[in-house]
Amino acid sequence: MSAGALRRPVYVSGIGESRPVPRDPRAIPEMVLEAVQAAYADARCAHTDIDAVVTASVDLLDGLTASNIAVTEVVDAVMKPETRISSEGLAAALHAAAQIASGAYDAVLVVAHAKTSMADYQGLTRWALDPIHVQPLGADFLACAGLQAAMLADGDPGAERRWAKVAAERRRAGNGTFLIPSSVEEILLSPVIAAPLREGMCAPLGDAACAVVLTAGSAAVRLTGVGWDLDSHALGERDLRRWDGLRRAFARACAVAGMDPRGMPIDLVEPSCFYPHEEEMFRAATAIGERAELSPDGGLFAGTAPVVAGLSRFAAAARGVRAGRAKRALAHGAWGPAGQGQAVAILQAGA
Amino acid sequence: MIRESAIRIPFRYAAGGAGSRFLAALRDERRILGARCDGCRRVFAPLRSFCSSCGASPLEEIALGPGGRVEAWTARADGTVFALVRLDGADTALLHRLVGLPGEPRRGMRVRARFAAERRASILDIAGFEPEEGASA
Repeated sequence: MSAGALRRPVYVSGIGESRPVPRDPRAIPEMVLEAVQAAYADARCAHTDIDAVVTASVDLLDGLTASNIAVTEVVDAVMKPETRISSEGLAAALHAAAQIASGAYDAVLVVAHAKTSMADYQGLTRWALDPIHVQPLGADFLACAGLQAAMLADGDPGAERRWAKVAAERRRAGNGTFLIPSSVEEILLSPVIAAPLREGMCAPLGDAACAVVLTAGSAAVRLTGVGWDLDSHALGERDLRRWDGLRRAFARACAVAGMDPRGMPIDLVEPSCFYPHEEEMFRAATAIGERAELSPDGGLFAGTAPVVAGLSRFAAAARGVRAGRAKRALAHGAWGPAGQGQAVAILQAGA
Repeated sequence: MIRESAIRIPFRYAAGGAGSRFLAALRDERRILGARCDGCRRVFAPLRSFCSSCGASPLEEIALGPGGRVEAWTARADGTVFALVRLDGADTALLHRLVGLPGEPRRGMRVRARFAAERRASILDIAGFEPEEGASA
């Protein structure tokens, strides 16, 4: 594994979000526009300042093929070089960072969106699985998460209550618009949806958009480390008890940032955990200790949307650094069945 | 305003060489095929044409199971039970369903493939994995 420093500094100049809600009545472009305009206002820039655009969207979720072409205008991609990533928004941010670091562009807009209220999200994820060996079984991402949680809960009778506590604690810290159980006892009484996972333990999914402006020009937050990784698609080929892909992505991001991960130099951590057992795997894979502040605004447990989740964590980490709450922050994104895809960004204060 | 719609488009997925052989063996021989890599000695379930660990290709075809152990299971609200089953002789686990359970399954439980009476060269030619006789559920 080799990973050198970014060849040119990359800064986070603007962030904007359309807050996650269970059901956004607007059309996708309207929801996306809100996030883009907020990011421009935050960056004090206009669309003429943007050289290129990287979008993240997933056709299956939008019910459209080439879902990026429906947002071309609102992301200001008309007559500009647009790249579309059909996975996590954080992966889109890391590709945008590569475009800036390479010297290709000076200002790149990153946009992610998803509206899970449009269709049965878990039903759709069935179509993301191996069409020959898995799809006919009817398994979906939720079943994959259940199997992973089952691996971790085996021989650990305290797991269920511990996970309910994690979800409850995060939700208390958050300020979500989702009507979801928020006490440990309520969570433990909520229906089992993929044993041992209960409905109340899971991050509720809704509609959201997030936009970030990355620039070569100096700003208060600098992106210093990037790393990503894909593990085997087949669950049976992985050690499901661990997020090895995250361990590798984290090591790459640390190498790019010129940082020794054993020194625990990160003080704010924004993981993309849709289920509480994922938070435990996140801690194990990154060796993030108890000293670092983790998901102070509740992370995904207060409500989120797939695709947007990781980019929203990037925005949260950037806000933390900008506000002086952290010198160095980590943002994490995960996608695919049981966290097959993993991405890590390391942000730090200033020039 | 909301426009209601649904996408209904039939697809034809090619199973590929190894996938076709795997499905044909389920249908015609009631055998579960896997692959052994000579390079790294790893045995994969199901049959595949190359090693995901070291890239070697082609791999040696071997029959696995039909018995194995439950590595993990999860139950959906509708009662469907999915499991990762480590077939005898395999290093990787096969994702499938558990059927014929007298009670809650447990990790490490011995199970055996139950083949469907009518087989159509599909992963569902294995109706599911059921507890082996004498295995406590």
